[in-house]
Amino acid sequence: MTVELGHFALVLALALSIIQAVLPVLGARRNDDRMMAVAVPASFTVFALIALSFAALTSAHVLSDFSVQNVFENSHSQKPLLYKFTGVWGNHEGSMLLWVLILSFFTALVAFFGNNLPPTLKANVLGVQAWIGSAFLLFIVGTSNPFARLNPAPIEGQDLNPILQDIGLAIHPPMLYLGYVGFSVCFSFAVAALIDGRIDAAWARWVRPWTLTAWIFLTGGIAMGSYWAYYELGWGGWWFWDPVENASFMPWLAGTALLHSALVMEKRSALKIWTVLLAILTFSLSLLGTFLVRSGVLTSVHTFATDPGRGLFILAILVLFIGGSLALFAWRAQTLAPGGLFQPISREGALVFNNLFLTTAAATVLIGTLYPLLLESLTGEKISVGAPFFNLTFGPLMIPLLAAVPFGPLLAWKRGDILAVAQRLMTAFFVALLVVAFVLYKTSASGVLAAFGIGLAVWLMLGAVTDLSLKAGIGKTSLRGMAQRITGLPRSVFGTAFAHFGLGITLLGIVATTTFATESVLVMKPGDGIRAGGYTLRFDRVDAVKGSNYTEDQGKFTILNDEGQPVTDLVSAKRFFPVRKMQTTEAGIKTFMFSQLYVSLGDAAKDGGIVVRIWWKPLVTLIWLGGVVMMIGGGMSLLDRRLRIGAPAKSKLGKPRPARAIS
Amino acid sequence: MVFWISAAVLTVVATLLVLLPLTRRVQAPVSDNQYDVEVYRDQLRELDADEKRGLIDPVSSEQARAEIGRRLLKSAKAVEDDKAIVRPTKSATREWLTLATVLAIPLISWGIYTKLGSPDLPAQPLAERLAKPADQSTPAELIARAEAHLALNPDDGQGWEVLAPIYLRMGRPGDAVAAYQNTIRLNGDSAGRQLGLGQALTAETGGKITARAEEAFKRAMTLDPKDMRPQFYIIDGWMQQGRLPEARDLIRKLLAEAPADVPWRDQAQAALTRLDHEIAGDAPDVSDVEKTGPDASQVEAAAGMNNQDRAAMIEGMVANLAEKLKQSPDDIEGWERLVRSYVVLNRPNDALEALGRARKVLSADKLARLDAVANELGLADEPDQPENN
Repeated sequence: MTVELGHFALVLALALSIIQAVLPVLGARRNDDRMMAVAVPASFTVFALIALSFAALTSAHVLSDFSVQNVFENSHSQKPLLYKFTGVWGNHEGSMLLWVLILSFFTALVAFFGNNLPPTLKANVLGVQAWIGSAFLLFIVGTSNPFARLNPAPIEGQDLNPILQDIGLAIHPPMLYLGYVGFSVCFSFAVAALIDGRIDAAWARWVRPWTLTAWIFLTGGIAMGSYWAYYELGWGGWWFWDPVENASFMPWLAGTALLHSALVMEKRSALKIWTVLLAILTFSLSLLGTFLVRSGVLTSVHTFATDPGRGLFILAILVLFIGGSLALFAWRAQTLAPGGLFQPISREGALVFNNLFLTTAAATVLIGTLYPLLLESLTGEKISVGAPFFNLTFGPLMIPLLAAVPFGPLLAWKRGDILAVAQRLMTAFFVALLVVAFVLYKTSASGVLAAFGIGLAVWLMLGAVTDLSLKAGIGKTSLRGMAQRITGLPRSVFGTAFAHFGLGITLLGIVATTTFATESVLVMKPGDGIRAGGYTLRFDRVDAVKGSNYTEDQGKFTILNDEGQPVTDLVSAKRFFPVRKMQTTEAGIKTFMFSQLYVSLGDAAKDGGIVVRIWWKPLVTLIWLGGVVMMIGGGMSLLDRRLRIGAPAKSKLGKPRPARAIS
Repeated sequence: MVFWISAAVLTVVATLLVLLPLTRRVQAPVSDNQYDVEVYRDQLRELDADEKRGLIDPVSSEQARAEIGRRLLKSAKAVEDDKAIVRPTKSATREWLTLATVLAIPLISWGIYTKLGSPDLPAQPLAERLAKPADQSTPAELIARAEAHLALNPDDGQGWEVLAPIYLRMGRPGDAVAAYQNTIRLNGDSAGRQLGLGQALTAETGGKITARAEEAFKRAMTLDPKDMRPQFYIIDGWMQQGRLPEARDLIRKLLAEAPADVPWRDQAQAALTRLDHEIAGDAPDVSDVEKTGPDASQVEAAAGMNNQDRAAMIEGMVANLAEKLKQSPDDIEGWERLVRSYVVLNRPNDALEALGRARKVLSADKLARLDAVANELGLADEPDQPENN
């Protein structure tokens, strides 16, 4: 009964979503408070129903109920318990259900924290959320129903794709979806403003926490995905400019731009229309990402054609929401009052500079991702737009942007003095130059690119430090005075500094890994040794081990230091999953400070040896650590008190009543 | 039943939750512009705090204060204007929409669910299915239960012993191989287990007898020389490998040792003849194959036909036979076949007529044989009511 009740709850959620999509928006048009008031309880109920439905599917997976087709196709009774849980969203139907679960969760959050929102805006925002929800629920019920049953039920399942049986999968997709779907709130706010033809004074302030939340999760999701690909695929790479990766990176670039332009709008009431457009574009790119990954269009445009039901449905959603919102924008944007003016050299100007480069970068990635698909569908020719394209286009766009980052937070609003700011950044600049010279000296001419890359990273990090120390009043007051000022600073100042510092850390990791990594491929026999990054790796033996639903060959290695003393062991394995007849590599990775030794097993050679690939990856973990620091920065910004603003008391007009809720 | 009640409760609760705000009065609604006023007041307070902290210089602060003040005044005026907005308390549209909502929620949800759902299909968690009493379980469930038991007790020889032949019959040769190996490991060697292992290995390769399978069959042969089956597999394997003389020798040996009435004697004899021909290098002689019956291509054609076509073809063949018997009447087998055919085709008059014609041409001893057949088929010597058409 559980399964069927979950199915029913899903269908009921669809019915309720349709009501929520119609009544509140109509009420807002007619100034009808009762109709608008439907939105809040509907949001909660829809969330509760979808949660119930998701719980039913999860229980079917955990209890191995193979009468549910989705469980039969993606689970196995011998699978470890953790992967029975993660298997729920490790497949198309389940992941779409997770998508709408998160969407309804965000909608419920807006309803919950929305006490300080004007009723019209709230009704419209929740209504637009319900439009998205209804469309996707209809998609699930119509083409990707996770509750399809099998009778008679098979006795054993077909197991989850082995490369998805990994802890990375437990975290990566939910985080990515929290990011993707979080931007739906920004989108709904933008569309609500367009419907109503007015942007409330605190619009940007209300949108910012949602942008920040979505951005934090998306940052985490991308970092997690990159790390997962790094250790699970066994190629030692951390970013492949793969369309699936690009699909998550585009909304991140646009979302980062949105984060910055919302700042201008919040502080200066400028860039209003542009911010509304960015909010629409960011979510559109999220939808595009969902479409690319979920329609099967990426594996081949032909897969898309063989399963037209799903692909066309998502394409229709895509056209409806992106086309519809952009048309609405074109129609209504002029009714929105334009905002304040500013000088080109100013904080606003710097943020516009940021927006220009980030949106161009997002467009570049978009072209690089879609062009091969278009070409294939039109001419049938398969081309691959890989790293060379992105290195030539995306790279040069990033250099001026990154170089300009330290200037931004130091410039004053409205009109700034770039020379004064340059003076303040002198120290950071000279230290960065020294680093460049040092790297050049160490690596001779071959390391020019590395030297400047590392210099840029140092410049970014020191820029963030400079910003904080200047705001603390370095050189102006005593140490105690500085401490006082630092504690009094708004949290968003720390947020900015941390996020920019984290960007520097990531850049340092990227540059060091791409320029100084070493790779060796060789056949090793027990007892053989090879040098990698200041250590010696000794191959000891191969053991056959049986896991719960796989067998594996474990290559045992010992890592020795320069004196020949063993430092630690390393295990690198190849797993075979008999149900799917698939093999996965379990790379052996050892971390030394921020660098890593990465060992991947290949096939056995004829003479009893085994092919081994060994990489020394200097500072590679900084790539993801930087992401974590960026997330911390985002979190600090989110906690800023400015985001909490009072709502007018309903009984006595004019007397502010402080509301604790954010947004 | 529990399901339908739960579904109904869910529907009613969900409907009520969205219905309540539609029927309840909202307390003194606030103008949207009032929220803007609050925001600007908030900004002014924040500006003061920033100035105190020294984060903003007095000149900029004053400019900002003036800018915010201007917006504040504008919004405050808009709040006054908003008081003129009529907020309907009674509205026909709303009442109409309320009714539509009350109807739409159950209609949409129950309409879609009854089309897609399987309300009568109970959840079937694996553990529960395996815990059912054995007489209520399907064979697949019993096997799964045994598997679950063996996963925990992999050294239960009895379990493997039972499971191995079941796997083989179910067409899971890979599992059967593993099960036979386990039972041999745990219960010791026996002819039956080695034979099963060999059969499983052969099934796994789709009939090809590998060296491993041959080894198992040889082992089974040593353990029980009386069982012919392993030896047949070995012969088959040798024939696959082209080791024809060895295969022939073994067949000869088997035929020599076997009692005269073994059921496989004819088959073995035929195989021996074929092998002899193949070893000698001449094609098998097919001249003695009966020519009068339908040949292979005709039978094949008949199999692919529908009933009408097949009947027509049979009629044609019977007519041919009758024609042939007119020209060469001294053919007792031919007459027998013709009479039988007419009876099978439900043409008794034609059968009697054929019998009558045969009487004129056949010798006495042959006629006696034909009469015996006629009696067996239930045909009287003379038709009781001759019907000529």
